[in-house]
Amino acid sequence: MKEMSIDVPVEPPAEFKSLFIPIPPEYVEDAYKKDEFMILVGPQHGGSGHMRIIVRLKGDVIVDALPDPGYVHRGMEKLAENKLYIQNIPLLERPAIMDCANYNLGYVRAIEQMLDIEVPERAKYIRTILAELCRVGTHLYDAGILAIFLGHSTGFMWPFAMRELICEALMKVSGARVTASYIIPGGVRRDVSKSVLEYIREVTFFIEKKAKDFEKVFIKNPVTIARMKDVGVLTKKDAIRLGVVGPFLRATGVEYDVRAIEPYDAYDQLDWDVVTADDGDSYSRFLVRVEEISQSLRIIRQAINRLRTMPEGKVISEDLLGKIKDKEKASRDIKGNFYRIFGRLTLPAGEVTTLTEASRGTLLYTLVSDGESTSPYRLRIVTPGWLYLKGFMESLKGSRLADLQAIYGSFGYFPPEADR
Amino acid sequence: MFAELMEMFRGNAVEIPILQPIIDALMGIPLVNFVVSFLLWKPLFAILFAPGLAALMVAMLFIIWFERKVTARVQWRYGPLEISRSLGGLIQPLADGMRYLFQEVIVHREAHKPLFIQLPLLSFIPVLLPFLFIPAGTIYAIRTPYALPLIVALISLVPMLIVLIGWASNSKYAYLGSMREVFMYFGYEVALIVVVMAMVLMYGSADLIEIVEKQKSLPGILFNPIACIAFFMVTAMATSRFPFEIPEADQEVVFGPFIEYTGIMFGIVMTLGYEKLYLLSLLFSILFLGGWNGPTIAILGDLSPALWLFLKTVVLMMMFVFLRTVYPRFRLDQAIKFGWTTLLSLSVISLAVAAVIRLVGWL
Repeated sequence: MKEMSIDVPVEPPAEFKSLFIPIPPEYVEDAYKKDEFMILVGPQHGGSGHMRIIVRLKGDVIVDALPDPGYVHRGMEKLAENKLYIQNIPLLERPAIMDCANYNLGYVRAIEQMLDIEVPERAKYIRTILAELCRVGTHLYDAGILAIFLGHSTGFMWPFAMRELICEALMKVSGARVTASYIIPGGVRRDVSKSVLEYIREVTFFIEKKAKDFEKVFIKNPVTIARMKDVGVLTKKDAIRLGVVGPFLRATGVEYDVRAIEPYDAYDQLDWDVVTADDGDSYSRFLVRVEEISQSLRIIRQAINRLRTMPEGKVISEDLLGKIKDKEKASRDIKGNFYRIFGRLTLPAGEVTTLTEASRGTLLYTLVSDGESTSPYRLRIVTPGWLYLKGFMESLKGSRLADLQAIYGSFGYFPPEADR
Repeated sequence: MFAELMEMFRGNAVEIPILQPIIDALMGIPLVNFVVSFLLWKPLFAILFAPGLAALMVAMLFIIWFERKVTARVQWRYGPLEISRSLGGLIQPLADGMRYLFQEVIVHREAHKPLFIQLPLLSFIPVLLPFLFIPAGTIYAIRTPYALPLIVALISLVPMLIVLIGWASNSKYAYLGSMREVFMYFGYEVALIVVVMAMVLMYGSADLIEIVEKQKSLPGILFNPIACIAFFMVTAMATSRFPFEIPEADQEVVFGPFIEYTGIMFGIVMTLGYEKLYLLSLLFSILFLGGWNGPTIAILGDLSPALWLFLKTVVLMMMFVFLRTVYPRFRLDQAIKFGWTTLLSLSVISLAVAAVIRLVGWL
């Protein structure tokens, strides 16, 4: 179709000057000279999280998208330098509270590697269960947000209702519905009783059953497919170049999962598959995570089966207990001895980096210790949200403005996670 | 003159046997008898009560409650409950309306003030005028062979008002929303007119009373089911029901044309879609479901056909609002494509079917 241009001098809107927009004014002028215009999506918008996306549009098609994150930056890295090692555990699950176990796991493993201690077998399985529960919870959360971005309110309510059971399971295990703070250096806080394990097992079956209804109503809905198929395509090459991580990288056909490549905890002893897809569009990004839910449920069930045969007790490493008298009791439940063990914990000087497969992708912790302080000298956190932000912006190009929400939801972008 | 008018009113009054004692008692009081007979005068009754304003209000209050309740039940929630617990929160929309009344109406600086304020009120004109031509049994205001074209023409005015509202709001998202409304309008309007033409061709008349007469034995849906499907989808599209809730998409354009309205003004513009839904459902039940045909309830007299029409309409509206729980929303270009391909071809096929029926002479 022949393109027609109308030569009307258009002034860039005043808000690009009056608001603080982190792009050069020449860029805005250039856009308005070229028969294009720019709109701001967020940070106060029904279809954006706590972030702003500066969208450059030609008609209805997105030419360029620039992120303006940082609205929920809390300075986790700096805060971590002023707290005891053990106090950082509740802090570091705040970037993504629904994904608390994975966020704890990375940090705690860094401490363990520095102390060079081995975690008891039972604790490893409990950690794995918790991490996978959080993964299911996060994927359900993201599916709900995606559904409401597409206007499907039933698809929003059902995953949240399913996630309620996971909150309940976390509560039974740790006492907290979302921020569990349950994983500690050397193991977990306390042992999990048999009845709780049975409850978690039942939850996995229930979620599997309900996920089938969800599939009928939302996933296989023709309108959903029409909205998401071939929308926001990110090619394999681009995804690797831009450093996309997690399910979004796997959706482009790259088989990369930290759990499989550098297994930690009990992942190498369990039978599960790395889920991949080939298309790299919004729909496959969504489907990969849906399939990951069933893989996670599979992992949880296997881990529970192993735990059933294991003797109860002993979930904290003996190396940490030191001078505590009743070691038998303390290794079953840390309660009462917590600050005696961890209050003055100092790590040997050095630097350790751990990679964890959090729900939304690879999570990196780098812990630097000076060898004499009770708090980290430096803690570097690179969250998956931050890593795939570039890929997210890349995939927006060439889509329509109405697709912005579909792509946003398909990435499950969570500003608090990316901003830390 | 008074007596003449009284005679005119009494000569064309609505007969309701169950209310007759009350009416007779009121007739004894001077001046009140004039008001009562004026209200019971069929043309005014059609506009004010059934199928007009009062029925519209009842249907709207019920359907807003039903929409919230059924969506909530599907989604494992309770829905409106706290207000009138024994009725299951039935009067919640009324309470919301009260709240809107007491909220401040903000007119923002950029708005085109006169238009911004008067357009929501003007929007009642295209919504209420069609009731002049929609009969409910013997109750009607104007009987004309051009009733159907007139109704469709008046309903087509609603999008104009929405576009004007968006334009008067003078804000980016309102502008985007009104542009979407315009595109949607182009998407469904042709199909709507073609389907209505098909039905006119099939019945051989555009007079609604005659159309319902012809459906005495069998409803129109059995003769031309394709037209019925097309009309159903057109209605969903025209009233911004899911999956075509595109102009108001709150995740994308944040209620689109109505973004700047507050208080009772928002209450009025929000109900616009429901009013349009009521009108199109009325047309649907008259064209396809046999209108007010149904077993006569002797005790209601003239109201009996009006009640049947009302019930059919409300059941249809319930079907439309239920779509919310099942579908997400299409993208604008997909919806327009749907309108110009699927809907248009369905409506053209229905025109052909109607022509065949007309030629064979089944109706």
